[in-house]
Amino acid sequence: MSPMNWYTALSLFLWIAPHVLLGVLAVILYRRRLYREFPCFFAYVLYEIAEFILLFTLHSIPRVTNQQYMYAYTATLLLSIALRFGVIDEVSRDLLRNSKFLKVAARRSLQCLAGLLLGAGVLLAVYAPGASGRWQTGVFVVNRGAAVVQCGLLLALLLFSRFLGLSWRRHGFGIALGLGVLASADLATFALRAALTSRPAVELLNLLITGSYLVYVSIWIGYLLAPEPRPVTLTALPQNEVKTWNTELQRLLGR
Amino acid sequence: MEYGVAAIAGALIGQIPIVAWTLVAIAFCALGIMVYVAIRSRTRPVDLEKATQAVRALDIEAFRNLIDPAEEKFLRDNLPPRQFRAIKRQRGWATLIYLWEAGRASTALAGFGQAAQRSSDPEMAAAGLQLTENAFRLRLQTVTAGLHLLPGIVFPTLQGRALPPLLDQYERAADIVFRLGRLSSGGGLTRSESA
Repeated sequence: MSPMNWYTALSLFLWIAPHVLLGVLAVILYRRRLYREFPCFFAYVLYEIAEFILLFTLHSIPRVTNQQYMYAYTATLLLSIALRFGVIDEVSRDLLRNSKFLKVAARRSLQCLAGLLLGAGVLLAVYAPGASGRWQTGVFVVNRGAAVVQCGLLLALLLFSRFLGLSWRRHGFGIALGLGVLASADLATFALRAALTSRPAVELLNLLITGSYLVYVSIWIGYLLAPEPRPVTLTALPQNEVKTWNTELQRLLGR
Repeated sequence: MEYGVAAIAGALIGQIPIVAWTLVAIAFCALGIMVYVAIRSRTRPVDLEKATQAVRALDIEAFRNLIDPAEEKFLRDNLPPRQFRAIKRQRGWATLIYLWEAGRASTALAGFGQAAQRSSDPEMAAAGLQLTENAFRLRLQTVTAGLHLLPGIVFPTLQGRALPPLLDQYERAADIVFRLGRLSSGGGLTRSESA
């Protein structure tokens, strides 16, 4: 096999394998009824599979030009970005599900943070518009901006939960973590991709982008296959102890 | 691949602006933090003893002294301005440490409350829910109080201008920590008394 064939084989493997795993993930989500808890994530997984089938088909048809392929890639990428925001919203709701206070306070803070990150993404797009004026570069810049917002939001969610001692459910945490890895990998690779014009470097980067898919899909499968840990029992604790703590805390908060 | 490593390295170094490399560094930092949080967030047993110790570690009388306006006025009136500023800063830092510890205690309480929420006893679960909510509020209030303290630490002489809101926060923080200390001992004991 010539070196170029190795590259083609590796790219095809890294392109196809994660989407096969996404199929496995969809089956897991369906069989474990997790699509009821995470409908947007389920839709995202199905969408990614459909997107792959479409793009792979277009890639395989010789009559389809590179430009036509890029149009399809752009359209599907934009919808994919929108769905990821939906998934972030879904995991944040799952995290804050039990706290009325946090549902208001934390969600407001997250909205403010999203606004700030969006501003940062727009500023980046204005002051670092990429290597050339080609519209493809514009797509990479948009994806880079979206990755800034998504990565920041997920990082904030993870740090916020740790700061408050807020406990995640395993599935929600796994989805957030996988998406966080995806967003940070997208941020790094598309920041480089928007600036690059050299063909060898672009091809290496494409391998990294497709390779990172394998990582986050594996994270999702790992977390969704693992059973939810059993609730911690408080048998050693007298029931009135909880009430005492609760009463005192209510008093100190001046309610 | 048909291209040499040198060609790729040259392209990466030569073409990419500093902004892109900065974003790459940010992405790696974010990734590192996420992995760290994932590793540290593995299920930990709920440690009531830890929560209790965190609360008991707060020496309430010392904290009340630190935030007492009369004490501050006494120091201001009796010390040279330079010495007063230095002492005010030290007292401010000490207060921040107390708030930090109160925040840690509330995090431990939140973990305890969330574990109680999962109890099969509905009454206990409801109490756990309330405890968790209160612990979250307390945690956020310690942050707010800390943020209000910072200007006074950086600019000790500014205290006169920022007095009302700062005092509000001081008093609220004092009340929070004072009552937290009471609930751990049931009789208003401070650490030194209970030891």
